Amino acid sequence: MVLYSFYIFDRHTECIYSRRWTPRPVSSSSKAARPQSGSSITSSGDAPTGRKGMSHADDEKLIFGLVFSLRNMVQKLGGDDDTFLAYRTGEYKLHYYETPTRMKFVMLTDTKQNHLRAYLHQIWANLYVEFVVKNPLAPVEHPGGIGVANELFEKGLEAFITAVLPA
Amino acid sequence: MVVFALFIISKAGGLIYNREFHSGLSKLTSNDYLMLAGSFHGMHAITKQLCPAMPAPVNPSSTAAVLAPSPFSGRPSGLEVLESTHFRMQCFQTLTGTKFLLFTEPQQPNIDSMMRKIYELYADFVMKNPFYTVEMPIRCEKFDRGLDGFVKVRS
Amino acid sequence: MSGAQNQPTGLRYPSNKKTIYDRNLNRTKNAELSRAAFAYLFVEMISYAQQRVRGIADLEKRLNNQGYPLGLRLLDLLLSRSSNPLSSIRPTRILPLLQFIAQTLWRHLFGRPADALERSESDASQFMLYDNEPLVNQYISLPREMSQLNCAAFVAGIIEGVCDGAGFATEGVSAHSVAEQEGGASAGGGMWPGKTVFLIKFKQEVLEREEILGRGGG
Repeated sequence: MVLYSFYIFDRHTECIYSRRWTPRPVSSSSKAARPQSGSSITSSGDAPTGRKGMSHADDEKLIFGLVFSLRNMVQKLGGDDDTFLAYRTGEYKLHYYETPTRMKFVMLTDTKQNHLRAYLHQIWANLYVEFVVKNPLAPVEHPGGIGVANELFEKGLEAFITAVLPA
Repeated sequence: MVVFALFIISKAGGLIYNREFHSGLSKLTSNDYLMLAGSFHGMHAITKQLCPAMPAPVNPSSTAAVLAPSPFSGRPSGLEVLESTHFRMQCFQTLTGTKFLLFTEPQQPNIDSMMRKIYELYADFVMKNPFYTVEMPIRCEKFDRGLDGFVKVRS
Repeated sequence: MSGAQNQPTGLRYPSNKKTIYDRNLNRTKNAELSRAAFAYLFVEMISYAQQRVRGIADLEKRLNNQGYPLGLRLLDLLLSRSSNPLSSIRPTRILPLLQFIAQTLWRHLFGRPADALERSESDASQFMLYDNEPLVNQYISLPREMSQLNCAAFVAGIIEGVCDGAGFATEGVSAHSVAEQEGGASAGGGMWPGKTVFLIKFKQEVLEREEILGRGGG
């Protein structure tokens, strides 16, 4: 099972936490000048031209816009009580979970993975609520992701993922 | 076994066919459907962009590759299946960029073979019809009838 | 076609000097063509016929004209291929001619005989040939404003060519859809929604000749 990335968006459409397990494919132009060690796996493949010059921040904005539109489309077609769960392409699968407070949890995995909605829910309930919401030092809102990526949350996430999603 | 609806989106992002087989999805105005098709067209392109790892060129295991062996197998395929609590949407993109969206129940089996059959009907009764103009809305009686017979037999 | 004559090679004058006329006529006797290839060709034939066309009758006339030379040639080809040397003379009576069309010609073109053959009760010079599902119409859905059209007019042209070639002058052969009248009221347009009738109306002199031959034979 391959885990690509994980994002949390708050209700102000801002990405307050993101984590990647594989380096994103880098455009060849930026990497070519540097001598490459053999260990790099993902950067050896050609990046599609459309991705040139795109940063992590751009990715986050794209993903937010995408899940926002898909969620609206699903609600338009399936009715107000319908929720968007996941989509799959030939290469990856995007899992989606929205909390009652309109926070959005998004996870990208390989295509063989079944629903991760329950896990995303657990991440919210057992990790985010426990270590971020209940943390007296963290602010109520998290502009720029302040207060989310604290040590306990990071460790908890790491432990949770190795426990329920073994590689 | 329920098939809700079929949409066909042209390569320019226009809705050229929409057909409801079973009620279950919300009724929208035709304008809303057109907008939905247009925005889906854009979303599909974004899902291609977001591909976190390039597909292995040796084993293109995607369903699109089975339906139509693609000379572009090294490229990301874009959205293929969308799941929600009420329905499941399968998207099949032909080599020429036409997209077929099939809305079914979440647990529907054999969607691939169903999609193949629909593609076949499209190739026969739409593309071989002398009175159909490419990229324009599809109004072909035999295509409608073929879909009817096919969906009825299956349900 | 005439353009090919000027070229040193081509379909008519291939480089190895073996033209299509050097082939044995029976070579393609049992050969089958791709239905899809025909469908796409027919699409283009109709598009061609539709250029600067004035009305549906005009379009049908053009399709008919496209089929006519085929009929003339097929008559010769099919008669020469006939296994029985006695039957390789052209039909001289109406009934054998119509049988030839409904059986031999239909089998050659569509791989099956025609579905029915009738003589009109009201008009002795008129014959009806039925095809429940014409192959040429298999993929065609008519737009609403052209519902009068039947693209089997092309096949009607072939029939007309055969009749003319055999010396049976006709007032014309036309194709009409009959499903509406028959099954319109009943469920779902009847069993054969594409059923087509070919109306063959012979000229008066053909009937007179037929009568004389009938008297001589009897």
